[in-house]
Amino acid sequence: MTIAAASTQGTLIERVLKLNWGIITLLVALAFIGVLMHFSVSSGAWTDMPLTHGMRFAVLLVITLLAAMFLDTRFWLAIAYPLYAGALLLLLAVEVIGETRMGATRWLSIGPISLQPSEIMKIAIVLALARYYHQLDPRRTGSVLWVLPAFIMIGAPVALVMHQPDLGTAMLILFAGLAVMFLGGLLWRIIAVGAGVAISGAVFAYNNVLHGYQRDRINVFLGLADDPLGAGYHVLQSKIAIGSAGLFGRGYLQGSQSQLDFLPEKHTDFIYTMIVEEFGLFGGFLVLGLYVALMGLAMQVALRARSLFSRLAAAGVAATLASYVFINTAMVIGLAPVVGIPLPMLSFGGTAMVTLMSGFAIVLSVDLHRDQHGARGLLW
Amino acid sequence: MKFPQRGKKIGPTLPKRDVNLIFTRRATLLSLGGLGAAGAIGFRMAQLQATDAVSREYTRAADENRFDTRIVPPPRGIIYDRFGIVLAQTSKDYQVSVVQNDVDDMEEVVSRVAAILGHDADWARRVILRVRGGSHYEPEPLQVGLTWEEFNAINVRLPELRGIVANSTDVRAYPFDVVYAHPIGYVQKPSQRDIDRALANPEQGASRATYLRNPQVRVGKAGLEASLEPVLHGDAGWRKVIVNARGVEMGEDEDEARQPVPGSGVVLTIDHELQRTAMQSFGDQAGAAVVMDIYNGDILVMASAPTFDPNHFVNGIGQAEFDVLNGDEKKPLFNKAVSGAYPPGSTFKTMVGIAAKQAGVDDDWHVNCPGYFPFGGRNFHCWKSGGHGQVNLHRAMRESCDVFFYQAALRAGPERIAAVARTFGFGVAHDITLPNVEDGLVPDPDWWFANRHERWTAGLTVNYGIGQGSLLVTPLQLCCMAARVANNGKAVKPRLVREAPGVVEPGAPRDLEGIAPEHLSAIRQGMFGVANEPGGTAMRAGNMIQCVRRPDGVIVEASGAPPGCTPVQIAGKTGTSQARVISAAERASGVRHDSQLPWHLRDNALFVSFGPWDDPRYACAVVMEHGGHLNPQLDAAPISAMILRQTFLRDPARRPPARLAALENRAGRQA
Repeated sequence: MTIAAASTQGTLIERVLKLNWGIITLLVALAFIGVLMHFSVSSGAWTDMPLTHGMRFAVLLVITLLAAMFLDTRFWLAIAYPLYAGALLLLLAVEVIGETRMGATRWLSIGPISLQPSEIMKIAIVLALARYYHQLDPRRTGSVLWVLPAFIMIGAPVALVMHQPDLGTAMLILFAGLAVMFLGGLLWRIIAVGAGVAISGAVFAYNNVLHGYQRDRINVFLGLADDPLGAGYHVLQSKIAIGSAGLFGRGYLQGSQSQLDFLPEKHTDFIYTMIVEEFGLFGGFLVLGLYVALMGLAMQVALRARSLFSRLAAAGVAATLASYVFINTAMVIGLAPVVGIPLPMLSFGGTAMVTLMSGFAIVLSVDLHRDQHGARGLLW
Repeated sequence: MKFPQRGKKIGPTLPKRDVNLIFTRRATLLSLGGLGAAGAIGFRMAQLQATDAVSREYTRAADENRFDTRIVPPPRGIIYDRFGIVLAQTSKDYQVSVVQNDVDDMEEVVSRVAAILGHDADWARRVILRVRGGSHYEPEPLQVGLTWEEFNAINVRLPELRGIVANSTDVRAYPFDVVYAHPIGYVQKPSQRDIDRALANPEQGASRATYLRNPQVRVGKAGLEASLEPVLHGDAGWRKVIVNARGVEMGEDEDEARQPVPGSGVVLTIDHELQRTAMQSFGDQAGAAVVMDIYNGDILVMASAPTFDPNHFVNGIGQAEFDVLNGDEKKPLFNKAVSGAYPPGSTFKTMVGIAAKQAGVDDDWHVNCPGYFPFGGRNFHCWKSGGHGQVNLHRAMRESCDVFFYQAALRAGPERIAAVARTFGFGVAHDITLPNVEDGLVPDPDWWFANRHERWTAGLTVNYGIGQGSLLVTPLQLCCMAARVANNGKAVKPRLVREAPGVVEPGAPRDLEGIAPEHLSAIRQGMFGVANEPGGTAMRAGNMIQCVRRPDGVIVEASGAPPGCTPVQIAGKTGTSQARVISAAERASGVRHDSQLPWHLRDNALFVSFGPWDDPRYACAVVMEHGGHLNPQLDAAPISAMILRQTFLRDPARRPPARLAALENRAGRQA
């Protein structure tokens, strides 16, 4: 069997049938709940919001499926480094010519297109590190010297994004990168030392790097400060909504906290609160379960892939998804400071959806082309 | 291809590791971590509501967020005249307001409203400036007090006026505006002082203060509105409304509402027809008039001029308008009928006459009046510079001879005069449920020594005889005095409120202590002479009555005396009180006529009267401030005659008064 024969994935129909329909179903289910919730955010009216959300997902799903079917693992491997380099350059460009909106310099305007390079970086970091560990001699994974490039690959974008400032995105890049490093075989010794450095670094960052509003949020979260109308308002209102919801909630379109606008940002960062308020503990667990299932399927894709790159890329996307979901839900119930991370497929807004759908394009592609392998039994 | 054993060192230092095995193990570990995170979040969420106390706490917090108690001010009690005419009521005020948050283009939409209402661009600019400072989510009034037509004109164009609201609110309205500005007064928004005073009260002070801060709440600030506040106000109700985070009402929990208890109605003793006549008769003069039923004390007229429109105060009077009213030398804001204190002048001769009678003066006691009375080294002048010649009490009353009363006062003595004056109601604040009732001043030697720190002199007694000096009386006291003279010495007490919760019907008045009926009779005869006998100082006023009593007792208009009818006559006493001291030098060079004096230095003209002579029922007192007897039509006596003539023809005391219960029923049905 030649490589060419092995990489031929059959007819279009065969490819469609071979797609991981479990993942697709979960994505569609989550997006549908999103449309439902945005309908409720609009107080039960077909405003632009639920329609936009649904349309946006539909378009992105089609692109994702096409990408998964027609782009194979080699493509992702090939673009890993250029994508990362490009994203890093764009992040540097943001530093220089970035556009400041609401006190943060995150956007880059190129003609009519306005983009956040930090979002590209969320995927690029996963691909780049996957490729790095894929190509690294397994014997060297344990070496401190060969850990350094990976750390730099993570550290550079994280530092740039922190400086924008965008704590949430920096955390997501960091977590995704660390997850890939961990899965790539980082020695436990190094992990232990790294954790020690991280804690002291966090203390240092808290005192010297973080902005006043970020510190406020963390203080409120840690119970060091009480500010029900300022930094603590969002979380307080969110906890009131969740705490008063009961087992089955107040009913669709009936959540008093969200319908009466006590809950801020209910269509974006706090949409989970609205779900729990209107559908209760039951609804909250259901949505959480959908995410856990999605992560599990992505992990399954990683485990049955044949190359380390595929495995690390799919698992990295799963880790990114997990970071989004757990940081967001922990935030709305007061277990994590408010850092402005949306809930995948549910929160309104295109940026996060594009990022995550790109991630799932990789996962689906890796799954579809899992039998494709090179002469070494892995990839080329 | 053979993989080396895991852990076996390749080269000098590096162990060979199975990346696939490591990945599988670590992926499992990471997945377990993810499940743990999901579990922790699920547990925390369950904890937020499963723990009973915590959940209740959060449910209560959600309800507190969601529900807001909106105060519903009670409809204020209606004020009626004695026959049931509505003098003060709660009515609808039509307004056009703007909800700024719903407006796309403020300038455009307000200028369209301005066009509909016929205002100019300047109005629109000013209104926008004012509104911008207000709420962005609640309606902010652009204009209040719209007519029904204007309100409808706005209403039909509402679809094209995004953000504009046409609404109506309850407002206190005084349909006869200026006529009752003084007795009824007005309501206003509670002042900071009201709120502070409520807060100082430990019992319910805080909730009362919260209530007072409600923008719809009005409290009585002047007149009966102020003194009857507890009766008129009623009890507030509330509605439990569902609000959003900006406080905008989204719905209502109707089970939790409490209806407000309307304030109680109040029936006054005033007769609207007479009150209006009296108010009109003052023209642009300043003064006061009081008409009273001499048997039960019902005040039929309480007029004070000039006046103002109390409706302007209800929604907050502008500073400019208030400054004009407050700065006017004729004091329109001031209820002269009960709060104005004046020297009574010759009207006080009634009291001096009684005191003299008590001191033994009889009809044979004559005094020679050469036009002045030399006493204590100076001359006390009579108003009639040529003098009256020989006068006794009757003639002295009729022609108001000062010299007679100088000597009568000396004979009676200041203590006796003061005692009589107090018996007739001077020097005390009559309780007529109004705020700021003036008590006046009845001086006597003790008072003089205590307050002026010098001995009373006989010269003061002489002056006392013609009602000058430090003596001060109010129009209400003058009227009360006339009533007590007319009813033959009954201690009738004036009252303004006929029926209201807590107001009891007064019993029959007792007799005045130490007042002999024959003395009063002599004084009444003198007062009759004033208005009806040649030489009387108010003959012209007496002739203005022009009414007769028919055989059946009804009084009708008639210029002559038709057969079987008896003419209706009045009795009275004129008075002039100087607002200045006339120096000897001025007197020598000729006293300046009032027309040459600035308004505030001119004499006050007074007239107390009662009638009808054959069967007295009504007493009247009129004070024309600085009227100076300049205009014979607008002098105190002719105005009294005009008012009394109307009173006789209407004869309100003999008509059945309205009953509060029936009026409240009617009002309740209409509401």
